[in-house]
Amino acid sequence: MSRKAPGEIRARRSFYWRYVLEPYFYLAPAILLIAGVMVVPLVIGISYSFQSVRLLRPGGGFVGLENYLDLWSDRKFWIALENTFVWTIGSISFQFLLGLGLALLLNTRFHGKRLIQSLVFLPWAVPTFLSALAWAWLFNPTIGPLPHWLTAMGILGEPQNILGDPELAIWGPIVANIWFGIPFFAITLLAALQSIPAELYEAAEIDGASPWQRFTKITLPFLAPMIAITVMLRTIWIANFADLIFVMTGGGPANSTQILSTYIFTTAFKKLDFGYASAIAVALLILLLIYAAILLVLRRRLVKI
Amino acid sequence: MARMDLRNIAKRYGPVEVMRNIDLAIEDGEFIVLVGPSGCGKSTLLRMIAGLEPISEGEFLIDGQRMNEVAPRDRDIAMVFQSYALYPHMDVARNMGFSMEIRGADAGEKQSKVAEAARTLGLTALTKRLPKALSGGQRQRVAMGRAIVRDPKAFLFDEPLSNLDAALRVEMRLEIARLHQRLKATMVYVTHDQVEALTLADRIVVLDSGNIQQVGTPLELYERPANRFVAQFIGSPTMNVLDVTPAEGGITLRNGTTIGFSPAVPAAIPAVAQLGIRPEHLDIADPDGASMVGVADVVEHLGSDTNIYVQVEGIGPLMLRQHGHLPLRPNERIGLTIPADRMHLFDAEGIALR
Repeated sequence: MSRKAPGEIRARRSFYWRYVLEPYFYLAPAILLIAGVMVVPLVIGISYSFQSVRLLRPGGGFVGLENYLDLWSDRKFWIALENTFVWTIGSISFQFLLGLGLALLLNTRFHGKRLIQSLVFLPWAVPTFLSALAWAWLFNPTIGPLPHWLTAMGILGEPQNILGDPELAIWGPIVANIWFGIPFFAITLLAALQSIPAELYEAAEIDGASPWQRFTKITLPFLAPMIAITVMLRTIWIANFADLIFVMTGGGPANSTQILSTYIFTTAFKKLDFGYASAIAVALLILLLIYAAILLVLRRRLVKI
Repeated sequence: MARMDLRNIAKRYGPVEVMRNIDLAIEDGEFIVLVGPSGCGKSTLLRMIAGLEPISEGEFLIDGQRMNEVAPRDRDIAMVFQSYALYPHMDVARNMGFSMEIRGADAGEKQSKVAEAARTLGLTALTKRLPKALSGGQRQRVAMGRAIVRDPKAFLFDEPLSNLDAALRVEMRLEIARLHQRLKATMVYVTHDQVEALTLADRIVVLDSGNIQQVGTPLELYERPANRFVAQFIGSPTMNVLDVTPAEGGITLRNGTTIGFSPAVPAAIPAVAQLGIRPEHLDIADPDGASMVGVADVVEHLGSDTNIYVQVEGIGPLMLRQHGHLPLRPNERIGLTIPADRMHLFDAEGIALR
């Protein structure tokens, strides 16, 4: 039997203190801040979805999964979910493709490039409320030119109110959103394009690559990390982005432009049913988390740089 | 393999003319080195050959075919860049086989070609790695491998060794020399390093401020430089240049000593002329009776050689290089003589007098 060395327990305790506890002590301010700003509101918000919080009928309390069961059988929720997909995919794909095209154009040399570059950013700087109003007027068949132009081009049968047609109304806010979102993609992708070394294009040119091959084999792989991250961020933003729809159509006609975020907004602040609104919000949160996880896995698989 | 002809080529950026009167015939299988100080236009000339820069004037031909308007990808030439320009998202094998991938070559053929190039360059164990996991020397090899796989008409090198450390540079220089001996392909190589130029070239083209100063074999440039620029650019340490005046059957140095010509007598020596003498060609003599007398300022012992900076009375600083170890101490008085057959004479414009 060996005797304990003098001071052994104290030494072990100080080891425990130094390597296990002490780091958290230094991290504490940041952890407390994040918890206070993000985790606590999130937990409270999620907890609402298990309660009945109706300002018009006070004193609900804990109701378990009742809000979620209501959600499952709520026809408006499923319409809004479908509209959210159309709205998000329609907006993001055109924003991305047109933004990429604009970035490729801006990445060439031409006269007045700096001026054009700053002008491209303008839609981003206009308050959404204003641009939503402007687009609503543009689509208005009485004072706006768009219905008449579309009719003249043969796309519309007659200059009707697009925003009033349940079949077409969702494309009004989508077009406004495309206009609003192109600069973001153009500017971020332009920055990524400019970081590609010119020699790689020269080397590829000497190796015999055609312009299209240079685009697919050099440009796209280099842009991939930026594309993955911007598409992910923008998708989440757009799915949550209620301003344009709220101002242009208010979710109508007949819920044909109602997306989840506008549905949450009307449920919470018009029907004043915060419990149910929280349940919809949690559903949206879960969908977006799944989407982000898939995109991050894809990014790790595809991006090699 | 190809023969290349550059006929009266000029390069202008807007109104600024950076190159003019470039006339050069590159023989099939020749190793040509373009050398000159930075900004002399050597890289621009190489990029015009590659097709990466348009040619403003003149004609460039490969095997008699005019190439001015032909796109780089149709010129069938390979280029190794200073920065290597490896594709960072492709592994070594795909980097080397990229040109064949582009052409849609047969997978088996591509694989065997890449494997063969990798074996020649000692890269077999690295073919699955990305460029970021390679050292500088290995990247350099991959860049060369990418060129070899092409089996092109000609190879172009743009300062390929300048990003490597000194030991690796010597090793890769040897490798490029071997590559040329094995492939017997036409190669055009740009460098600012005269040692690379002298060791690799069949013929060297010395460029300065957009003009060809001289074209010749390494020895021709060393022994018979066409002008003072070439004389001072080729050879290390730099050639000494002294002001001289003509004398009966020879020239007079500024300290009053006259040196007679022997054996050849050049044409008339103008009133303003300069004498060039390489540091390794100056002889040490007894201070009494030597043509120049001076004090050793700084003595550098390199082991194989000794460099001595001498303050010569009535002339100024001169550099002297002697083979072997020379037991000289700073501030010692020494005499110098100039062997008449090692002298280079230049007129006021710096053109060699012969």
